[in-house]
Amino acid sequence: MYDVRIRVSKRGRIKFVSHLDMFRTMQRAVRRAEIPLWYTEGFNPHPYISYLLALPLGVEGVAEPIDIRLVEPMPMEELLDRLNAVMPEGLRVESAAAPFHKPAEIAFARYDVTLDRADITPEELTEALTCGELTCEKSGKSGHKKIMKTVNVSEHIREYRLEDKGEQLLLTVVLPAGSTFNLNPIQLMEAVSGRLGRRIYPPLTVRTALLCEDLSEFI
Amino acid sequence: MDKRLEKILPLVQKPARYTGGELNSVIKDKNSVAIRYAFCFPDSYEIGMSHLGIKILYSLINAREDAWCERVFAPWTDMEEQMRSNGIPLYALESGDPVKDFDLIGFTLQYELCYTNILNMLDLAGLPVRAADRKGLSPIVMAGGPCACNPEPVAEFFDLFLLGDGEEVMNEILDLYKAHKQRGSDKAAFLKAAAQLPGVYVPSFYDVTYREDGVVDAIIPAEGAPEKITKRVVRDLDSVFYPDSFVVPFIDVVFDRVTHEIFRGCIRGCRFCQACFLSRPIREKSPDTINEQCKVLCKNTGYDEISLCSLSSSDYSGIEELLSKLLDWTPGEKVNIALPSLRVDNFSDELLKKLTGVRKSGLTFAPEAGTQRMRDVINKNVTEEEIMETSRIAFAGGYSAVKLYFMLGLPTETPEDVQGIAYLAKKVVDTFYSMPEKPKGKGVNVSVSASNFVPKPFTPFQWEPQATVEELKEKQDLLLHTCPSKKINISFHDIHTSFLEGVFARGDRRLSRVIETAWKNGCVFDSWNDHFRFDTWMDSFASCGLDPVFYANRRRDYGETLPWDHLDFGVSKGYLEKENEKAKRAETTANCKIKCAGCGASKLNGGHCDV
Repeated sequence: MYDVRIRVSKRGRIKFVSHLDMFRTMQRAVRRAEIPLWYTEGFNPHPYISYLLALPLGVEGVAEPIDIRLVEPMPMEELLDRLNAVMPEGLRVESAAAPFHKPAEIAFARYDVTLDRADITPEELTEALTCGELTCEKSGKSGHKKIMKTVNVSEHIREYRLEDKGEQLLLTVVLPAGSTFNLNPIQLMEAVSGRLGRRIYPPLTVRTALLCEDLSEFI
Repeated sequence: MDKRLEKILPLVQKPARYTGGELNSVIKDKNSVAIRYAFCFPDSYEIGMSHLGIKILYSLINAREDAWCERVFAPWTDMEEQMRSNGIPLYALESGDPVKDFDLIGFTLQYELCYTNILNMLDLAGLPVRAADRKGLSPIVMAGGPCACNPEPVAEFFDLFLLGDGEEVMNEILDLYKAHKQRGSDKAAFLKAAAQLPGVYVPSFYDVTYREDGVVDAIIPAEGAPEKITKRVVRDLDSVFYPDSFVVPFIDVVFDRVTHEIFRGCIRGCRFCQACFLSRPIREKSPDTINEQCKVLCKNTGYDEISLCSLSSSDYSGIEELLSKLLDWTPGEKVNIALPSLRVDNFSDELLKKLTGVRKSGLTFAPEAGTQRMRDVINKNVTEEEIMETSRIAFAGGYSAVKLYFMLGLPTETPEDVQGIAYLAKKVVDTFYSMPEKPKGKGVNVSVSASNFVPKPFTPFQWEPQATVEELKEKQDLLLHTCPSKKINISFHDIHTSFLEGVFARGDRRLSRVIETAWKNGCVFDSWNDHFRFDTWMDSFASCGLDPVFYANRRRDYGETLPWDHLDFGVSKGYLEKENEKAKRAETTANCKIKCAGCGASKLNGGHCDV
């Protein structure tokens, strides 16, 4: 068996396809590409495809890692070409290589959030990000029960940078990601919206990188 | 993508219903095509994307260089609200362009309860809902599908209907439209020419008069339109167009797999079944063609399941040959085969063995009625022994869940017939426990689904009264109280929904006003229980001065002019009358393979029928 980590970009209207639906989409794509995939054994065999981290609905990605398992080795170039020949609009396999980090090493993610200046001024955004008490509601579990928890977002913003682009503002932000604690930019913007008392919808949000605990690139 | 759309999509459920961009969806340059066709399905994306007809016609139209067909589904109510408040008109998924600007808008009429959705979609598009209020050559609003066999209740909303198989007449309509568009002709001239095409019904050319008692008096053609419009029939399924790819949805839809139609028509002639009589004569596709087309479709879609569909799959003469051919390659490709619509009387051991090569799910059979007398009335032609034998085969083959379909409210039905359903289900349970070779460690589960019989046009029961709402309620209660075992789950269909279905199935043109009124009063998605507003419907009938009971629960005389008498689906009225008489005497008619009963449908295929 040969494990390969492919990096897939998800751009444009396909960002509205949910994580669960992406899974089925990739399953069908590898079938169409006739990649010699390893199938799980058991009553209902399915190809081994593992999404390392869900991309929130409405967020684009430039290099989302997906692990697949092959039964025979295959030149990476050919793998890329065969997959890209059958991908739906908006999905592209950018690279393929043997995995280096373990999936559990993902600790943070970096996002580029584009905002319309007509919706929010740089001063308002800076105030919200530095106020120290930015909160949002997040679903969580208490035992087996699903509950809503209030999260202090401010404590979790690892880094941010704000760039003035004229009509638009570009917010680059690093938020916790991975299997232990996740905060996504949609929740962040909900928190900002809550503080301002009006709904701010960024026209474009892109996940640009996944990072390890020391903020080095996850590869 | 439209900026306004980007802002509202995060606010609605399942936004991928509204984005397009699915694999195999067809994008063309709008400036290089002569005809733009919006294929509208008047229900949600998940229902519409499961429908085979839309896949066939979508590919067929897009195979033409001069035309571009796009898909449109009914936006769910949350999306509709957002679209209306943000001024976004109904748009087609491929281009995102407003439906209003298309040349042709084609709806498929799959069930009666989608009618308000049609009006809602036209209105969302910014178009007048009534055909008479749409003056220009574009858009022409048309429809086909099973409910087009009696399109009278929606006649005032449509410019034309296509009757029967759509594959050939669709191209003829497109050719005609293109010629008229290029020569700058008007809507009236186009419709006049269209009415001359076989299988095309232009309702505005027919004047319907009524007797004082409300019954149709006469249907009089004008503008040179034919007195009878005969449905179209594809003669050879091996050579007729079939798609080599399907649009593959991102989201989970109801039937998300390769669907392949193995034959059209049905040899059985069950007297309640409209699909049987509408789709005759019988035409089979060869196992080789089906096998090759399935291979290509799996390759182009990446689907891992093939469903072989027809009205009665085990009646397909090449079924074992086809399964052998498919099973040559499907296990290696990890593709499953589903074979719905099996009959209990010719479900063989061999067939089951072939099917056990693939994944096991539940088995579904349709005895339709609980007693032999009742099954004879409806000409179901299966015996209790056959049902038990099939159950035994299925249980021996490892199945432990069986679903049984029945109908309540069939003509001549007595309380004993209703109770017979429960007793039959109990015998299936007993059969399971009497078998030493029953699946180990599992209990049996028999699901009984009891729907309400709705008399339909072009069936021997087209003259029969539908059981009233009160009668159906009593029958449901009786069945529930008779149920003798905890291993049996009984589910029912909503009675009010069936009642309304009964009204529209055999309704006339005056009902257009009722549908329009109900829609204006907020009725949409009527086939969804949580949206169905029965009281609003009843108020709408009252305000239009029409009585739904007149349509649903009245017995018609054989001599009465029926609202669909000017439409010819092949099977003769005389044959249906004879079958109705036989039903009254609980006399059966043998299936077409045993003896041709002379239904008359083969005249549409040069006297030929694949039996």
